[in-house]
Amino acid sequence: MAKKAKSRTIAVRLISMAMTGYYRTMIRPRVHRPLSMLKYDPVVKKKVLFLEATKGGKAK
Amino acid sequence: MASIQQSVGKLPQRLQNFFARYPPQVYSALVAPRPTPPEGEVSAEQNLPSPYTPDREAKGAQKQDREAWSFSKSLLHNDPSNQNPFLPRKIFTTGKWIGPRYGLRQQADLVKLAIKYNVEPLLPPGTKSTEYKEARLAERGLRIKGTGIGQKVKGHKWERTMEARLEDRRKAMTEMPEMIRLWKQRGHGRGWRQWPKR
Repeated sequence: MAKKAKSRTIAVRLISMAMTGYYRTMIRPRVHRPLSMLKYDPVVKKKVLFLEATKGGKAK
Repeated sequence: MASIQQSVGKLPQRLQNFFARYPPQVYSALVAPRPTPPEGEVSAEQNLPSPYTPDREAKGAQKQDREAWSFSKSLLHNDPSNQNPFLPRKIFTTGKWIGPRYGLRQQADLVKLAIKYNVEPLLPPGTKSTEYKEARLAERGLRIKGTGIGQKVKGHKWERTMEARLEDRRKAMTEMPEMIRLWKQRGHGRGWRQWPKR
């Protein structure tokens, strides 16, 4: 039997680079490059850089 | 002793009555002999339990020696011929105990009043006296974990790691403008190499 097809989009976790442990979860197309954006971190109360965390460690 | 007579004259009625019944010349803590540790005796200070609850079931666990000499205990001087009204007494013929002439509540009242009028040493020695309380505190320490010298409590993990985490955060925030500048320079993440691990 054929394997179930992978979904077109995946949920990714964007981690605050202020090292506060705060993160946001977003959905992006599987083939898209990793997400990164400036967002508000409520712990340090500032706009900081959020970078997508790689699952398993290998960066795309 | 003349000073004792003088000071007693100005006291409130309650203390005056007490001193009339138990004259300080005979009963007070001033005339009681100062306690000295007996030769070769281990004082209770030396075999005190640790501030942490000892494992009583453990092999070789030491019990606290209740009979050991201690400064605070020996402060409670009781002269058999002049019975201290603040201390209970054992009648050896019957083996029964007689309570103190003044209960603990009355003792506390008297001590507080005496402290107010600066005549505490004229009262007989008792468990409510400042000296006894201080001696006992010095021997036993506060019964709260982590308050002694060199002691600390384990605490929660978030409490133990708090300092290091705040330091990390502070460091990250000082580097943040430079990081954002680099990120913008590299095409808003297009050329980014160091993605964080989850």
